[in-house]
Amino acid sequence: MTLDEINQALAKLANSGDETFAHAATYVSQLIQQVQTSQLSAEDMAELLRDMERQMEIIQDAGQLKLKQDMNAIIKGVFTLASIIY
Amino acid sequence: MKKLILLLLPLLSSCALIDAYTTAHFNINEYQHIVDVRTTARTGVTVCKDQIKASALAIVIAEKTQMLMIYEEHLPSNKDSFKAATALNDIAQGLVKRYSNPPVPETFCKIKFEGIDNAAGVVQHVIGNRPY
Repeated sequence: MTLDEINQALAKLANSGDETFAHAATYVSQLIQQVQTSQLSAEDMAELLRDMERQMEIIQDAGQLKLKQDMNAIIKGVFTLASIIY
Repeated sequence: MKKLILLLLPLLSSCALIDAYTTAHFNINEYQHIVDVRTTARTGVTVCKDQIKASALAIVIAEKTQMLMIYEEHLPSNKDSFKAATALNDIAQGLVKRYSNPPVPETFCKIKFEGIDNAAGVVQHVIGNRPY
């Protein structure tokens, strides 16, 4: 996943109509911005992404499984991208 | 066919009874714990500029999430809530661990406390919608 693809996927989740995932998408977007502006280290970002994975574990609603898969793919994409850049 | 239905009826009602017995019900103590965690998390966001206060609050919130996790552990039919409380506690413990290696960026502190608030909000939504 490229950064553009990640941003597109995040925008899609933000407009999914699901409040939880819209909020989560905003959270991840802000996180990426903080790293880009050097307000966060790569290590701190990794910890915060792991938190997001933990939050995804909490979601058990069957109606949200597709959104959960999409968010997990985004998180994996950010992890991969971060490991290449940093 | 009618005989078969009549024979199955007691079995079906028994299943409904078992289901009602094993499904977790609304628990005011559980709800209060999660509200407490969220309230502390929101206070945490406001003190992130102050490393000492934020560090102290990180310890407080980690104790609260640990308490919630222990509370959930042996409640009947409560596997999912225990799993959620464990995830929440892992997030909070991560904040305490980070404060053991200062300085902690204000941004990290804010995102962490907000993350705890969000995760606890999802749990609150689930437990708040349980039947009495």
